[in-house]
Amino acid sequence: MINDEPDARDLVAIALRSFRETILPLVPAEQRFTALMIANALATAERELAAGASAEPALAAAVGGLLGETGDLSTLAPRLCAAIGEGRFDDDEPQAALRRVLFDLTRARMAVSNPKLLAAGR
Amino acid sequence: MSGAPFLDADRKAALEAWLTAQAGARRVTVTDDGRLSGGAISLNLGVTLEIDGGPLDGTHAAVLRTGSASGVSASLDKAEEAAVLRLAFATGATVPEPLFIGADPALLGAPFYIMRRARGVAAGFRVVKTEAPQRELARELGRQLGRIHQVRPGAPGLEFLPLPAPSAAMQCVNDYRGWMGRFADTDPVLAYGLRWLTVNAPEPGELVLCHRDYRTGNYMVENGELTAIIDWEFAGWSDPMEDLAWFCAACWRFGRYDREAGGIADRADLYAGYEETAGRTVDERAVAYWETAGYLRWATVALQQGMRHSSGTEPSLELALTGRMLPEIELDLLRHLDAVAGMWGAKP
Repeated sequence: MINDEPDARDLVAIALRSFRETILPLVPAEQRFTALMIANALATAERELAAGASAEPALAAAVGGLLGETGDLSTLAPRLCAAIGEGRFDDDEPQAALRRVLFDLTRARMAVSNPKLLAAGR
Repeated sequence: MSGAPFLDADRKAALEAWLTAQAGARRVTVTDDGRLSGGAISLNLGVTLEIDGGPLDGTHAAVLRTGSASGVSASLDKAEEAAVLRLAFATGATVPEPLFIGADPALLGAPFYIMRRARGVAAGFRVVKTEAPQRELARELGRQLGRIHQVRPGAPGLEFLPLPAPSAAMQCVNDYRGWMGRFADTDPVLAYGLRWLTVNAPEPGELVLCHRDYRTGNYMVENGELTAIIDWEFAGWSDPMEDLAWFCAACWRFGRYDREAGGIADRADLYAGYEETAGRTVDERAVAYWETAGYLRWATVALQQGMRHSSGTEPSLELALTGRMLPEIELDLLRHLDAVAGMWGAKP
């Protein structure tokens, strides 16, 4: 399809900025919680559009390393689930290696969903 | 949540007639005081009851609690919740006294109950906001839990609560896996958590009445003192260490990560109060097991909340955003499993 400019990320970004600068200060107290949720949802969507799939190859390589396989993340993740369920990571050392990769996977998702909390060390 | 008043003229008239009969009164008038803050699952309506005649003659500040149509799995309906509350109240625990239980959904559209309204605040971020740790509050919450845990299977009126099988731990693992649906097969952090709970599951032990959502945010405080333990919809028979673990889980500290007991004090304060009244000691290794279970439980709730939105059954921004909390819950789970790896080790 034809990608018109400004693109989705740009539209969400400017919508969020306008909402924060011109609408949020006028929102009465009873609606403030909802207004903040709207800003939060837009900010998450903007980060997701900005991140795209850029982190995926490295994460797929890490998951593939645990399994001794190659493939993309959406193929390897269910295989990793199955391997975990079969007990392949029950022993101390494989389990510690598994946790390291899972930390990376989870931090990448949290960079989209809640970067502030991630930066705060939680 | 819609802005329309829950108690429209028809519901108000039906409720007043029903209450008049229930209270053995000449007349009951209900005033709608507005919605109280509450979870995404239940409706809590502040009401004032003016009761003319009967044993409850007088004016009562109360809360009408009812549930929305699609609750999260394993939550009790409101009449069942009120039955649990009634028994908890009977142990002397600081819980709101249930006054009237409406089990018939025909009356207001869903089962409901009316309880006395407690004073104070519940909001977690406000409760944890104190300069000094609230050690006496944590100790008192421990004592309260010890009393609640004195209710055991066989207690009259709680026959509807299922007994876990083959053990409290494995019942949880199987429930969580079922509630997660396809996510248990595609999200490796959830798969790891479920595997860890299975491999390390303790043998079946004693069962007690657990609140199962005993945490900061679900009790009310006024001037630093406990006024009510609320939100009993997940209560059930389980391992007593489950409630202690849930209370201490990182996700319920509201930013005060240094105060491991619910963001208000140290674990030692909570545990000491618990041991005063429970008649058992705190097993820290078991608490660590149940803390893992707690993160999986919270992950399943977040998933289900997100699905309530995504499936189209209940479009809601709040539910949608709760679904996107999954990564932070999983990070807490991974941190916990990292921290207890030495304590638990792995099976050879």
